[in-house]
Amino acid sequence: MSTARANRMTPYLFMAPAAVIMGIALLYPLGYMVYGSFLDWDPSQAIYEAEFVGLKNYVTLWNDAAFRESLSVTLIFASAVVTAEMVLGVGLALLLDRNIRGMSVLRTLFILPMMIAPVVVGLMWRYMYHPTVGTFNRFLTDWGFERVDWLGQHALLSVIIADIWQWTPFIFILSLAALQSLPRSALEAARIDGATAWQQIVHIKLPLMMPVLIVTMLLRLIDAFKVLEVILVMTEGGPGLSTEIVALRISRTATEFRELGTAAAMSNYLLILLLIFTVAMFAITRAQEARGRRLARQIEEEG
Amino acid sequence: MLKSITYGAVAALLATSAIADGHGGPYAEYAGTTLVVNFPAHPHYNAAMKVLPEFTKETGIEVEVDQLPYLKMRERQTLELAQDEGEYDLIAYVVFSKADYVFADQLENLAKYFMDPKLADPSYDAADLIDGYVQNIGVAGGTKGYLPGATGSLFGIPFGSETSVLAYRKDIFEKHGIAEPETYDQLLDAACAIPELEPGMGGMASRAASGHQASHAFLLHLAPLGGRVFDDAWEPIINNAAGVEAAEALKTIVDCGPEGSMAFGPAEAANAFSSGAAAMFLDSIAFMPGFEDPSRSSVAGKVGYAMHPMGVRRGSQTGGFGIAIPKNAENKEAAFLLMQWLTSKKGDLMVAMEGGNPSRFSTYQDAGLNEKFPFSATFGEALEFADPDWRPIIPTWGKINADIGTTMSKVLTEDLDIQEALDGVAERARAIMDEAGYYTWQ
Repeated sequence: MSTARANRMTPYLFMAPAAVIMGIALLYPLGYMVYGSFLDWDPSQAIYEAEFVGLKNYVTLWNDAAFRESLSVTLIFASAVVTAEMVLGVGLALLLDRNIRGMSVLRTLFILPMMIAPVVVGLMWRYMYHPTVGTFNRFLTDWGFERVDWLGQHALLSVIIADIWQWTPFIFILSLAALQSLPRSALEAARIDGATAWQQIVHIKLPLMMPVLIVTMLLRLIDAFKVLEVILVMTEGGPGLSTEIVALRISRTATEFRELGTAAAMSNYLLILLLIFTVAMFAITRAQEARGRRLARQIEEEG
Repeated sequence: MLKSITYGAVAALLATSAIADGHGGPYAEYAGTTLVVNFPAHPHYNAAMKVLPEFTKETGIEVEVDQLPYLKMRERQTLELAQDEGEYDLIAYVVFSKADYVFADQLENLAKYFMDPKLADPSYDAADLIDGYVQNIGVAGGTKGYLPGATGSLFGIPFGSETSVLAYRKDIFEKHGIAEPETYDQLLDAACAIPELEPGMGGMASRAASGHQASHAFLLHLAPLGGRVFDDAWEPIINNAAGVEAAEALKTIVDCGPEGSMAFGPAEAANAFSSGAAAMFLDSIAFMPGFEDPSRSSVAGKVGYAMHPMGVRRGSQTGGFGIAIPKNAENKEAAFLLMQWLTSKKGDLMVAMEGGNPSRFSTYQDAGLNEKFPFSATFGEALEFADPDWRPIIPTWGKINADIGTTMSKVLTEDLDIQEALDGVAERARAIMDEAGYYTWQ
């Protein structure tokens, strides 16, 4: 009897350390943040001194035009960078998935941008975008073109370009790894059947890479929603609110406006949004897998 | 970024010998104490740290400095001051922290120290301290809560305070026969005449980047043009005629300014001036010594300094830092002695000679200082008109300031209608003030 019980308990025993660590490191701060978002909480106060205001912070935010604007900036920024990075990253991976001499050097070069500290990236691009002495405008004037007011009139675009430069390599290396682990037999069969290179990509490579691509995209999306340093250094959210993404607004709300409760509520909105994306994306993959299985079964039955 | 320096051994030795030979004095009781102070990384405080060994030598009190970048400093202090027992005996604080710290009851009221005959130096001469600074940085609890008045009292002493003056290129102005701008009309005319007379050179370099910088630039013009953010009943009046005029002035300055002005912070604006890309620069005195340094500035020796131009009244900014004793400090009396020593006539002059910003009128008139920094007398004169109320120092200011800043940035970059923009600011500011309870008594 007791042996049986001990046997039943064993798995839980082994899981316990992980569960405890998870509880302390993940759930506790998360709970703290959720609780904090219901408070009118000034950083000079200890948390127990703060007044409980229920959902007030969430309601205020919902009606706050500045917050809604930064939410839409975030959505535009995230969708633009993730789309561009996916296209470029996967494209590069497809192009470079072959035996070229010096490939390993090339690959290292390609992933350099994402190894640079974000603050440095921000500073670098800020100088390159400088209206008079920056690389881009000097280049443009040398070639007889009009100067562009990069961080003024086209701030969001400029920030998007910098992010694409830094994070395309991330998609590139993951896609390349996925490509190189594809079953060679499927590709060989396609080649023997006379599929063109383009047909191979569209019908074989991309569908087979899809699970990896979806996870990659999700990781990038989550990251794009939280990007802070590069934008902080490049534009500080300006001009106006045109590049003030939610992460930056959260940090300003906590330090500049000294409203910890509102900042926590904003983080929770962001968390909810990301959760919706994640769940939606996994639901899509599930649906696709189910469809694949159904098709396979159909083919089997027909065959 | 955390740098700690201890001035120690010599002091301890001197202190013991002072007691041993029966020589008491005000410092004897505290000799050997180690004070921990929190200073920002700022030219003024770098200068102050050069004179600290002198304090230790004279008093036997050791000083350990925790120096932080000034924006980090505020975060650190917010955490530190909320503790039961704090690490700092003396802190330097940015002027707009005054409202938060005093409101949260975290700073010592200085009255009891100045009342204590054993601590207060009778030759301190508080009347010599620059009045606008003391009101702006030190006093709270009077008119509107943040200004002096019948109910106000002193919580800090200005140390590293700043006002605004106009720096201009004497050579360019003389070449084209333009007079030193005394009024806002002259200033704006000159700002837009220069790009036409000197192709490639902007009129005036100004901060304008979105957020705090744009707001700061706008407020700099608001006070002399006769405007205020709030009236005496806390109703926003930022959108009245003076407000519109100030926003128009800022827009004119930025439009006629050097290329890229819209994204300038103070450092970029100062760089534009010191590299010869702009003919004028209206900002804090803290930047001015840099223009006379030939290794960093291509305009050294060509710069004239004038008072902040006048609109309907004179009103230059007041800002910068003050020093105060936290409620949770361990060695409050000794901290007061250090505070008093640093801001005394002697201490103030010593710090100024090392490149700091004086807190006393007498320091600005000092012959030795004027020889070393020729603009000192002009600055001293400008200070008589330093306006302690050019921006409100209230707990809700952070949020309103940010809103003014982003709205101004939209006016500058997106051509938003000025009246409409300011009406929006006023409406949002009223909502913020209402929520914070400023209309409870109406």
